[in-house]
Formats: sequence, structure tokens, C-alpha cells
Amino acid sequence: MTDDTTPMTDGGTDEEARTDGGPPATVPPDDETPTWSERKEHSQGLSQLTYQYFERSRREDEDLRAESTYVERDVLGFPAWPHETIRNLAIASFFVGILIFISALMPPHFGHPANPGSTPAIILPDWYLYWSFGLLKLNPLNPELAVLGGNILIGNEFLGIIAHGIVFGVISLVPFLNKGNARRPVEEPFWAGVGMAGVVLSLTLAALAIQNFFPFELELLVTLTFLLPVLAGVVTYAVLKTMREGYSYDLNRRYFMLRPPK
Amino acid sequence: MSLKKNDEMDHNAWLKTQDLTVIETAFLTTLIWVDKRLRIVDYLEILETMYYRANLQMPKSHTEQYDLDNKFWYWYPLYSLGSLSILAYLVAAVSGALLGFYYSPSTAGAAAQGDPTAAYDSVVLILKDVQFGFMLRSIHSWAAQFMVAAVFLHMLRVYFTGAYKEPREVNWILGVILIGLTLFFGFSGYVLPWKQLSFWAAQIGVEMALATPIVGEWAAQLLFGGFTLGQATLVRMYILHVFVLPFVVTALIALHVGIVWVQGIAEPH
Repeated sequence: MTDDTTPMTDGGTDEEARTDGGPPATVPPDDETPTWSERKEHSQGLSQLTYQYFERSRREDEDLRAESTYVERDVLGFPAWPHETIRNLAIASFFVGILIFISALMPPHFGHPANPGSTPAIILPDWYLYWSFGLLKLNPLNPELAVLGGNILIGNEFLGIIAHGIVFGVISLVPFLNKGNARRPVEEPFWAGVGMAGVVLSLTLAALAIQNFFPFELELLVTLTFLLPVLAGVVTYAVLKTMREGYSYDLNRRYFMLRPPK
Repeated sequence: MSLKKNDEMDHNAWLKTQDLTVIETAFLTTLIWVDKRLRIVDYLEILETMYYRANLQMPKSHTEQYDLDNKFWYWYPLYSLGSLSILAYLVAAVSGALLGFYYSPSTAGAAAQGDPTAAYDSVVLILKDVQFGFMLRSIHSWAAQFMVAAVFLHMLRVYFTGAYKEPREVNWILGVILIGLTLFFGFSGYVLPWKQLSFWAAQIGVEMALATPIVGEWAAQLLFGGFTLGQATLVRMYILHVFVLPFVVTALIALHVGIVWVQGIAEPH
């Protein structure tokens, strides 16, 4: 039995990779890497399954790598030192410099002390919360139910809070709805359209928040708040679709050959 | 007995076989002359290292590497937005710590409604009396604005380049949480000077909390210290702004960046 080519009891030869005994048969990817079961013996229950899976997943990786037509280039990474460090230092210095420059140029206004007795005519948060403030002004959309005698079912403020929940919920759901390896907006005009609609919605909601500054009727503003995002989404979709079928697809054919869209 | 010269090592003969210009010949002759005496070849490695130190060459850019004909170079600044928001966060942390030396979270001192409180007065002190205090507050405020802007744009970049896709859902959700915390950071900081707009922004916050069924009153008491605004509100916003949020946000940023480190940066376009 010292000869490697001697048939073994299972009919194979010693040259072939052998299983470790645990079903189903798993094969270590090469001679040098120890199998997970070699690293630690787990012969039963969940731990066994875990290690079996790890072995499978590693094999899957290796198989995919072997099958892949992906061409490895000479430069696979950007060196951390000195290139990345110097680039980062340059960007960081520029950014902090601009920050300090603007701070010196445009110091923020400091208003009057708080007076619980007098409500100011215009209450506004900082610009980055305008969209959120706009969501609190959706009361024209609050349905007045006929069965309740024209009363509203949920308070206007609670409606705004529900709207916040919807916004954060939808944003969180995006990666679970849109999968695949497409990376460019051109590859997925629909999702680019959704994104543009979201961006425009945040802007129109901000406009709704500062509604006092607009010289037209509130009803029109509310309509525009939800119409413009849809419009922007449709336009984006159409433009990207055209681009994709037009010049961009052609220009980037190499890229699509490298990773074809689904 | 002396060592015989090897033909292969006859550099001058080798030089004659080459088709060289005058300059090249002169250079090589000098080099050989020096090398025969000083063996500079022994220091070749050091020379090479010095050469490459002096002639730093940028490696291939992503577009060159993937043969994208350099059509997308203008995307690249957008890929630094994440680190820029961290940078703005650090600037805000440093300037905020300095401001914290002088700020006092107290509504005491107002004899009548609308009088300046101790909190308001301490900000006035920072603006008027503290050396560089005016600039410090300006920097802190602008750093906050820059951070929020960078975070929003970072999110758009991640969305439009599809970097949130399959193995990176957790980091996307972590990012959504971080955006929410960043906005709350901004909100709590907006309340602290206890100026008119601070007060009424906090008032809207309380009203929002109270409008929520079941958890609303509990949330109002936890975050705002009651149903009406006062000393308790200011102290809670202060502790949230300078103690709770910095720890939570810093930890989540570390986790966020750590996951990027582990998963690798999503290959762009």
C-alpha cells in the first residue's frame, strides 16, 4: 500500500484528493490548504454542517475563480503608501482648508434668545432637515373620511411621522429589491429613475417646508411636490434608455463584454 | 597564477558590438570606468530604490486598468465623500470639545420670558470674549453642515453606482442609521444655544414625539425631559450631543468602515 497508484478500497487512488470521512464527500482545494475539518475536528451536529458549508463555499470560490474569464491585471490595488496616503493628505488638506475659509467668510447668524411666549413668524430648521420639515406639512393629503363625518383618522403630525417611517423604510429596502452585479445607472435605467425621483422629492419636500416663500397656491405646491419627482424619474429613465441604446452602450462595449448585464 | 579575464566580462568588446550614439557610449564608458574601480553595482539595489523613490510613478488608475478609455475620471472625487464626512466629523469633534469648555447648558438667569439664559449668555461669551471663539463656533457650525452634505452626497454616490448591492446590504442599512444619527446630531446641536429658533425647533420635536401613539409620551420624556421645554430639555440635548451621540456615532462609523474594509470597496462601474 506504499505505492501511491495502488487502488484503494473505494476504488480511487491516493493521488486523488480524499474525503475526510464526513458525508457528503468534500475535497480540499489543494494540498497546502488544510481543510476546515483538519483545522478543527467537528464530526456532528451544527458544527459539522458549518464546516461542511465552509468547505463548499471555499470550493465554490475556487471554481468560480477558475471558470472566470476575468483578466487579472498587473496592478490590482492602489498602494497605501505613498500614493494613497499622499492623495488622501492632499484631499484632506484641501477640504479642511475650504472649511476654515468658508467659516471665516460666512460665520453663522446668531439669533435672539428663546422666548416661549412669542412664536416666530417663520420656524425653520437647518437646511438639511427641510425635507423632514416638509414631510410634516402633508396635511392636505390626510384623508378626510366621510364615515367619520369629515374627520381625519390620524393626526396631521402623526401622518408626518408615518411619512418619515416610509421614507427610511423604503431607503432601507433598496438593497433587498435591487440585486445583481450591474453598477452603472445606464445598466439599470429604472433604478436610476427611482434614485432621481428620490433626489427631486427631497428637494420638492424642502420647497414644501418653506412654502411661505412661494407666491402660488398651496394646493399647486403639494401637487408639484409629488408630480415633479415622478417627472424627473421618467425623464431619467427615458434618457438613460436612449443613452444605453445609443452611443454609451457602444462606447462601453468592452465593459459589458467584461461583465455582461443580466 | 592570475585570474584570467572572462570573455563574457569584456565590457568594452560588448560596448563595440552595440549600436550606440555618442552620448550613450560616453555614459556607458564612464559607468564602466567608475564601476571597475568602485563596484557601484554592489549598491545597485540602493540606487534602484532611490531611483524609484525619486521617480514616484502613479500606478494605473481604475479606468486605465479596466480599459475604460479614461471616460469616467470625473467620478473619482465622489469616491472620497465617505472619508470627507469622517474628516468633517473630526473637525466638528475638535472644535466642539473646545466650545464645550465655555458652554453651560442651563436655562437659568432669565428674569422674564425672552431674556437671555445662561446657555445663550455662554454662547455670547464665546462669540465676544473668548479668543478665536467667534471663529471656533463658525468652524463647528460649518463642519456640521459639511458633514451632513458629505453624508448625503456619499449616499447618492453609493446609490447611483450600485455599491449597496448584494453582499453589502448590512452596510447600507448601517449607513441609513448613521444618516439619521447625523441629522439628530445636527438637531441637538441646533437646540443648544437656546436661541429663538432653537427653542421652536425643539418645540416641533416635542410635538412630533407627542403625536406618536403608544411610545410618543415615553419618547418625549426620554429625549426632551418632559412635555414642555425647559432646563431638562437643554441638559438632555446637551448630554445627547456631547456624550451619547459621539460614542454611538463613532462606534457605528468604525463598524461601517470596518465592514467596507472586510468586504472590499465595491468595484465601481
